Amino acid sequence: MILIRRLQHTFLEIILVVLCIALAIMAPGFFTTDNLLNVLRNVSMQGIIALGMTSVIIAGEIDLSVGSAVAFAGCWAAYLTGRFSGWPAGVAVILALVITVCTGFALGAFAGIIRSRYGVPSFISTLALMTGLSGAAELITNGFPLTPFPAWYNIIGGGYLAGIPVPALVFVVAFFAMHFLMNNTVFGRSVYAVGGNAEAARLSGINVRRIKILVLALTSTFAAIAGIMQSSEIMSGTATTAKGWELDVIAAVIIGGTSLTGGLGTIRGTMVGMVFLGVIINGMTLMNVSEYWQHVVRGVLILGAVLINRMQAQSAATRFAGVGR
Amino acid sequence: MRTSTLELDGIRKIFPGTTALDGVTLRWDGGNVHALIGRNGAGKSTLVNIVTGALAPTSGSIRLNGTAVSFHSPADARRSGIAAVHQELSLIPELSVAENILLGRLPQKPGMIPGRVDWTRTHRHAEELLSRLGVRIDHTATVGSLPVAQQQLIEIAKAMADEPSILLLDEPTSALSHQEAAHVFTLLRTLAERGVLIIYITHRLQEIGRIANTVTALRDGVSTPSIPIADATPESIVTMMFGQNIRFSRMVDRPAGTIPVMEVRLLSGEGSFYDVSFTLHKGEILGIAGLLGSGRTELLRAIAGADIPGSGELLIDGKTVHPHSPEQMKRMGVVLTPENRKDQGLVQMLAVRANICLASLERSAVNGFLSRRREKRVAQAAIRDLDIAVPDLEFPVSSLSGGNQQKVVLAKWLNTHPRIMLFDEPTRGIDLHAKLQIFQLIMRLSAQGISSVVVSSELEELMDICHRILVMKNGRITGSFDPASSSLDELFGVCIQ
Repeated sequence: MILIRRLQHTFLEIILVVLCIALAIMAPGFFTTDNLLNVLRNVSMQGIIALGMTSVIIAGEIDLSVGSAVAFAGCWAAYLTGRFSGWPAGVAVILALVITVCTGFALGAFAGIIRSRYGVPSFISTLALMTGLSGAAELITNGFPLTPFPAWYNIIGGGYLAGIPVPALVFVVAFFAMHFLMNNTVFGRSVYAVGGNAEAARLSGINVRRIKILVLALTSTFAAIAGIMQSSEIMSGTATTAKGWELDVIAAVIIGGTSLTGGLGTIRGTMVGMVFLGVIINGMTLMNVSEYWQHVVRGVLILGAVLINRMQAQSAATRFAGVGR
Repeated sequence: MRTSTLELDGIRKIFPGTTALDGVTLRWDGGNVHALIGRNGAGKSTLVNIVTGALAPTSGSIRLNGTAVSFHSPADARRSGIAAVHQELSLIPELSVAENILLGRLPQKPGMIPGRVDWTRTHRHAEELLSRLGVRIDHTATVGSLPVAQQQLIEIAKAMADEPSILLLDEPTSALSHQEAAHVFTLLRTLAERGVLIIYITHRLQEIGRIANTVTALRDGVSTPSIPIADATPESIVTMMFGQNIRFSRMVDRPAGTIPVMEVRLLSGEGSFYDVSFTLHKGEILGIAGLLGSGRTELLRAIAGADIPGSGELLIDGKTVHPHSPEQMKRMGVVLTPENRKDQGLVQMLAVRANICLASLERSAVNGFLSRRREKRVAQAAIRDLDIAVPDLEFPVSSLSGGNQQKVVLAKWLNTHPRIMLFDEPTRGIDLHAKLQIFQLIMRLSAQGISSVVVSSELEELMDICHRILVMKNGRITGSFDPASSSLDELFGVCIQ
């Protein structure tokens, strides 16, 4: 019984290992340092957002605006850097980045306030943000990439530190921070309680509104950070970048075992889900599978992961949920 | 319409672990309103489910007009002319009265296109039905725009749409005021006069005299003989519901304190309770006897900050407090164990440990960081103190029984070191042993100077554990009662007046 539960908890990890072994044999060039670092870099920016998204989904909400928020943050950082061009480059860039991160926080908090104050579902408010931010990014850039950044700016998104891509390092740090936040703090526990039963949480004296605002603000902040890294990697603020990222991010969270109905999920699961998604896409690209098929496979993956989760939930009935929280 | 007779013979229903019905034998005749009463858990809803085909009895037989019947589904029972109106309204508020009444059997137009609704006939049918029942409601109105009392009439009309000969009603007036209930009674009397057999389940005992011809009680799964309403006195009803020898053992063993800790002054909640005033003393256990819909739950919620009261004043230690959130009232030391622990008391999917610590997170954390070790210690202490049967602290709380879940709710609040505990039906649906333990806990808290307000529809429980009982009816406190110097009969009399 304990063994079965162990297996259920590490089911995805096992499949991931099997997949990696299979790809190492079948896909030429998969098991090389360069390629693995490449996979890591590719998943890192979406992964950072997915960590925040996990807390949003556990709280019973959703954030559809993250893709647009990435594009917007890149353009906004580029625009601000350009506006501050009279100042020394270092000061201008740092100021622009600080403002961009704060803007990200404010946008998420805005969606959260709309949610908890006026009862508008986050699906709607973040859908509105998704369209709005996409338009705002176009307006800022006037449809052309902005390129005000100094050369060293590339380090944030495209550089290496001790041989590891900087975004991957940020991802790992964010992972540990979020893991700690969700498991070892009052805030994290409150997020689970709010998603599990908002009314019981409220009656227990938890400030449900504040929690909902904070998780959305947190995710939006992560999206702004990812947007900065993305703009650094491509050295411009481009309005058309990161299209559809929200779907990849939500897919990774779901593949990682987080329930869309709230209350259940782990940061570790999301980490594995994100890497899983990245490895599969990388493997398919290496094996020359067409991009169209890649989309189909992604769809099958999401559905399969949810079905497996449901079956596990049913078979384990009352036993599996919440264990370890 | 022909009159029916319904006979139940030795109906038993055994669920895993409990016997819900243990030999119910009854005979009911058409043209009458038969009241069915009993405490929570006496088996009333099980009996309704068996008669309407939702459950099959373990043994025993049902005879309809002298012939044995067995139903496999509610649809089966409907075909035999048995309809039911359940406690929760089943109407769709956005649709019209006519649509609701004929939902699932809307008349269709013949022709090429299948499923085309014949609106002319729909409205004619609905109008005819309503006028036949003497209900004057516009059949084109949207149900949601009508008052609850009219919605209840529509619910009954809907049940009568295919002219059943037997109609069961499960607390149809629980959400209605005294005056509103009169409309329902008029309709039921009209139906009874036409020969319909009406089985009327109610918690509001004062209604029985207004509507029923006979009254029967279920007690611990067994039926008492049915008696004509003219022979029913408050005493005989108490005997029917609680048995001959009421085990009356007052648990209160020390007087209440004299220092006021909470004063409620003319508190009113929108449409639920009015001008409620009382003073709670240190260590006092104050009972509120009130039936479902008397405003008792709303009163407790308002004091606990779950809902914002309309007007009035609340004083804690002589200082005015405006309750606006449970968070704030928790800080003031005022906490509520809600009536519905499953949806409001606990986060079912979280571990037992997490639920026990849920309300005291700030207290048990250092700078916002939780320590699982400390949580475990707190949870283990609570489990020992309250004798909670838990296979594993890390199991979700949903794996516990009702009584143990209730104890987890209590443990959750005790960890916040409250000064005033509000209990809303603390013993609903839990076994006798757990019930006794919860009462002992309330006594222990009282000895420590913690005050309690206990709302319950189980009068004898209040008699056992309270220093003082307030009677609440239609949103108002109508009397104060000293359980030490009076009897259950007297309290019962006050409640059903």
